[in-house]
Amino acid sequence: MAQPILETRHIVKQFPKVLANDDINLTLNQGEILCLLGENGAGKSTLMNVLYGLYKPTSGTIVLDGEEVEFSSPRDAIDRGLGMVHQHFMLVDTLTVTENIILGSEPGRGPQIDYRTARQQVKELSERHGLRIDPDAKIMNLSVGLQQRVEILKALYRQAKILILDEPTAVLTPQEVEEFFAVVRGLRDNGVSIIIITHKLEEVKAISDRVYILRRGRIEGERRTADVSKEDLANLMVGRAVVLTVEKSDHQAKQEPVFEIDDLRVLDDREVAVVDGLSLDVRPGEVVGIAGVDGNGQSELAEAIMGLRSVAGGSLKHLGEDIKDLTTKERIHRRISYVPADRHRYGLVLPFTVAENIAMGYHDRAPNASGGGMRLNYSAMEEQATRLIKDFDIRTPGPLAPASHLSGGNQQKVILAREFTRNPSFLLVSQPTRGLDVGAIEYIHSQILAMRDQDVGVLLISLELEEIFGLADRILVLYEGAIVKEFVASETDEREVGFYMTGGKKEQSA
Amino acid sequence: MSSTHEHTEPGRLPSILTIASAVLGAAGLVIWLGASMSRGETYYFWGIWLIVAALAVYLWRYRLLNGGEALRELLRSSARKMAVPVMGVVTAIVLGGILMLATGYNPIEAYGALFFGGLVRNWHISILNAAPLIFTALSVAFAFKAGLFNIGAEGQYYMGAMAAAWLSIHFTLPGIISLPLIFIFAGLFGAMWTIIPALLKVRTGAHEVITTMMLAHTARYLSPVFIRANGGDPATSTHPYVTWEILPNNFLPRFQQFLPQANYRVHTGILIAIVVALLIHYILYYTSWGFEIRAVGENKDAARAQGISVGKNIFRALLIAGFLAGLAGFNQVNGLDHRLFENLQAGYGWNGISVALLAGGNPIGVVFTGLLWGVLDAGGQFMARTTQTPSAIVEIVKGTILFLVVARYIYTAIGNWRRKRQRHREADAANAVKEGA
Amino acid sequence: MVDYDFIVNLLSAMIRNATPIALAAIGAVVCERSGVVNIAMEGIMTVGAFVAAIVAGATGNPWIGLLAAIFFGGLFSLIHAFATVSLHLDHVVSGAVLNVLALGITSYLMIMIVGHPGTTNPVPVGLGDYRWAIPVLSSIPVLGPMFFNQTPIVYFSFILIGVFTWFLSKTKLGLHVRASGEHPLALETIGVSVYKMRYFGVLVSGLVGGMAGAYLSIESNVSFTEGMTGGRGFIAMAAMISGGWHPIGAFIAALFFGLADALQVRFQVFEIARVPEEFFIILPYVLTVVAVAGLVRRSRPPKADGVDFMIERSED
Repeated sequence: MAQPILETRHIVKQFPKVLANDDINLTLNQGEILCLLGENGAGKSTLMNVLYGLYKPTSGTIVLDGEEVEFSSPRDAIDRGLGMVHQHFMLVDTLTVTENIILGSEPGRGPQIDYRTARQQVKELSERHGLRIDPDAKIMNLSVGLQQRVEILKALYRQAKILILDEPTAVLTPQEVEEFFAVVRGLRDNGVSIIIITHKLEEVKAISDRVYILRRGRIEGERRTADVSKEDLANLMVGRAVVLTVEKSDHQAKQEPVFEIDDLRVLDDREVAVVDGLSLDVRPGEVVGIAGVDGNGQSELAEAIMGLRSVAGGSLKHLGEDIKDLTTKERIHRRISYVPADRHRYGLVLPFTVAENIAMGYHDRAPNASGGGMRLNYSAMEEQATRLIKDFDIRTPGPLAPASHLSGGNQQKVILAREFTRNPSFLLVSQPTRGLDVGAIEYIHSQILAMRDQDVGVLLISLELEEIFGLADRILVLYEGAIVKEFVASETDEREVGFYMTGGKKEQSA
Repeated sequence: MSSTHEHTEPGRLPSILTIASAVLGAAGLVIWLGASMSRGETYYFWGIWLIVAALAVYLWRYRLLNGGEALRELLRSSARKMAVPVMGVVTAIVLGGILMLATGYNPIEAYGALFFGGLVRNWHISILNAAPLIFTALSVAFAFKAGLFNIGAEGQYYMGAMAAAWLSIHFTLPGIISLPLIFIFAGLFGAMWTIIPALLKVRTGAHEVITTMMLAHTARYLSPVFIRANGGDPATSTHPYVTWEILPNNFLPRFQQFLPQANYRVHTGILIAIVVALLIHYILYYTSWGFEIRAVGENKDAARAQGISVGKNIFRALLIAGFLAGLAGFNQVNGLDHRLFENLQAGYGWNGISVALLAGGNPIGVVFTGLLWGVLDAGGQFMARTTQTPSAIVEIVKGTILFLVVARYIYTAIGNWRRKRQRHREADAANAVKEGA
Repeated sequence: MVDYDFIVNLLSAMIRNATPIALAAIGAVVCERSGVVNIAMEGIMTVGAFVAAIVAGATGNPWIGLLAAIFFGGLFSLIHAFATVSLHLDHVVSGAVLNVLALGITSYLMIMIVGHPGTTNPVPVGLGDYRWAIPVLSSIPVLGPMFFNQTPIVYFSFILIGVFTWFLSKTKLGLHVRASGEHPLALETIGVSVYKMRYFGVLVSGLVGGMAGAYLSIESNVSFTEGMTGGRGFIAMAAMISGGWHPIGAFIAALFFGLADALQVRFQVFEIARVPEEFFIILPYVLTVVAVAGLVRRSRPPKADGVDFMIERSED
């Protein structure tokens, strides 16, 4: 048995309202890959931030190399050989790769940075670990996979002996994941001990030596990966038997498409065509899934469909009519519903009440308002919200509670309640379950399928292949702003789809 | 916000009480605001008693409709809401007192003079100060709700004043026709001064803080040009930088016209300001325009995704803000001065920012903070005259109040710190128990 | 009328007028690059100008006055840092409050120290008396009198523009400041305190803003007058934005405002056109609006400029 390098003893972290970590004891051995498995909100990230010195634990101690340590800032953790790759990359867009890697540990005597040495060091480091990168590239011009490389190099530059990776594969394609696993194994063989935080069972099975399962802030168990099945892990993680996929009934879609996109061209803020020559159609009663790596035009496509971004070319047809020049409001009133990917930014006005959020979009007409919008009818809004809170099982103190007081899953249910009860003919759903726990995911998936069974045409954009396979009848692969391949969901698998998600090439060059 | 309750049928009493409370309140307000200490002491206190009575009737109605527990909850929650502002004001006054002590003035004497002057002796001056402040603060507050900072309300105020002065010099119609027209045009000229910032904000994203501020300075320097063209003559000593007097038919009615013992200078601008504040409150919270403006202010991306046009609402909000600031100009020209001075009216736009911030952008709150500022200013002058304490101390107290009220996080931070210490103590105690066992 | 002397006078007046704006603008650049919006420059300059005049008057030594102005400018700016960074107050709100507070404090102290409002007594020796023509360089035609026959703070401003440019692009601390304004959490997670960087950024703007104030009261004038900053702090904001949050850009923008100011005085003197003098006073303000409207597309503020930073926060 290898030497323990890092231990936590009775770590407790109390936030003003939440007990995020409750008596956590875990051990990381020298040169192993340890997984920390848990749902969103189980307290994984909090624990890692405690380890990394970003949060101070309410009580408990951290033992490193047999010595009790106290980190008052990440600096202390870094100095003791800890490195962390956060789920949301901690990279400054406007700076170069080199500047990001050396940030905080710049070479050079006196106040001035020795950029020549820095570039040299970065080059050497990347060659040593087989992580090729252009040291002078600006972060904003790099793909997500390459940005992750920079993050890992950043930790290695600080001579990390222990590397913590927070949801590292969330943004990668299946092929990139393979590559990433190889990198991680290489690091382990070079003597780095690794903790991977994840909620993906496959990932645990594929890479780890040992796994801790975290639920509601407590450690639910510890297993050797080789000795445990996926089902057992799932049970430990959720605390009950889980259906890994929602039951999908057979449902015949109608012939006449409800929504058609033809040769669509959309520019992003830098006026680059990020959607170019995209065509698809959605028929009533089917879920069309758009699979693709983040940044291939998903958000621009969604914005163009909803009229939030202007269309540079091509056509958008709803029920046979071109809606390209209609405003967002007109599209909503044509009964096009939209569940946006970022619920905090695009879905809800957080300080508004649940009732107001549900009324929004139809706030200027009956029953929410009378007299052409001259008088809002709060009691009607409240009534409607009360009804939907019951129908959608939204956990809230009441219809007048601000949306910000709700948990993520319940916030998403508020959006669903608003969009699904407007009797839509076409439903655009983007990443509906990001960051939610299993219970909420199950519920939302079943609701989406219920819409399909009521002959609504659903266009689902998701970065999670699992979700696409769970819901979609047809799968379209989006790559560099166009649909490069179409599959019938039942006739393909994740590997095949993943292959086309990277443009159908074996490997991307750095 | 009303919820159904299973109480005994209250009958028609509540609606009678509603009317009674409104009538009492309005009458009390008019009498109180118009009272002058030099001649109408009794009016002053009668006004206050009437307002207190109106409040009592309102609370009685509330209890009838919603029950005693709800009333207590209402009082508790209002007390909680008032806690921070009241604490801020008190702390700032104490700090100001310490400063006076340290610099050799008598704080008790000074504050005595300040509040006697502001609230009692020169109450009419407080009222005259408050009216324009309420207008400009409403302007700033309204823009706040759309997530915009109309820092240049001063410029819109000047534009409104110029429009009001020009029209009032030339309009010979009876006041009942011309005053509403001048009122609207003064507002429109104020609004005109926000068209460019609004356009630039929507089209290019140019920050309204910069554009409205620059246009404020522009308007400020346009005013002497206007004044010279309308009677101001730098060559004379009697009219160096003042326009001709406006026509008497365009004077705003004075309190004295219906309250014989009111101070002769006090005009009905303050009542208009209060009505406008109520109207703005209604627009913000009871119309779909207000709904959209607030939604854009809180989260413009989510508002847009629900079909609310961000540009249109920014435009609306800034134009209405400009309109409100323009009304301050109308208030000064037609109500108080009856002419346009070059410099004497400066500062209401800038001070409106403080008043709006202090009220947290709440239009009803603005009425109260506007009055507070008016009292502090009037009292400060009285204090300086009677006790030789520099009136600048009032500026310092005002700044401190603002800081303490706006920086609400101070109280959260103090709370967190106390909770943390509490927890540490508890943890220590628990450890001691554990180790002992 | 428009001859060599006119041009030279105009250009050197441009430099002199630009100096306080440029100083305040480059201070604000550092502040905003660290992520704190600073509209309190006007107040900071007021404090600096007042302190400089009082201390220079009391000690008879303008250099001590300058140091005092820098010190108190920095001290005053720390209120802004404390409010925005530690108390998480909205940056624009805090700045607006500080501008009010600066006016109150200076006019209170005017009465306390000077005994009357308005203007302080003239200082016995001002920094304007230390005009220094740099040998050789000052005899270059046009450029010589423009750049090399000036008073101390003008020279300091040239030096500081270079230093700040170097600081932001080449030094470790400068890199940290930039990261703090772009992606504060990235900086915090590699162990550099964002709070410290932001305090530092605000402090720099306070020190330089104090110096800009001293320029107004004891270098281009000999006394402090209430309201003498005349909106220059706000014009400095505009210069910073037009200059793309870069010291050299801000300096060039400040020169432009300085030129407008210099032209205005000359137009008035020569009565070139029968246009009210006020139109020339208005000119820089209008040009600022034009500049902000035209340039804002191309220049981009730091991503986290004005965004509050708080580490401990419970996840939902």
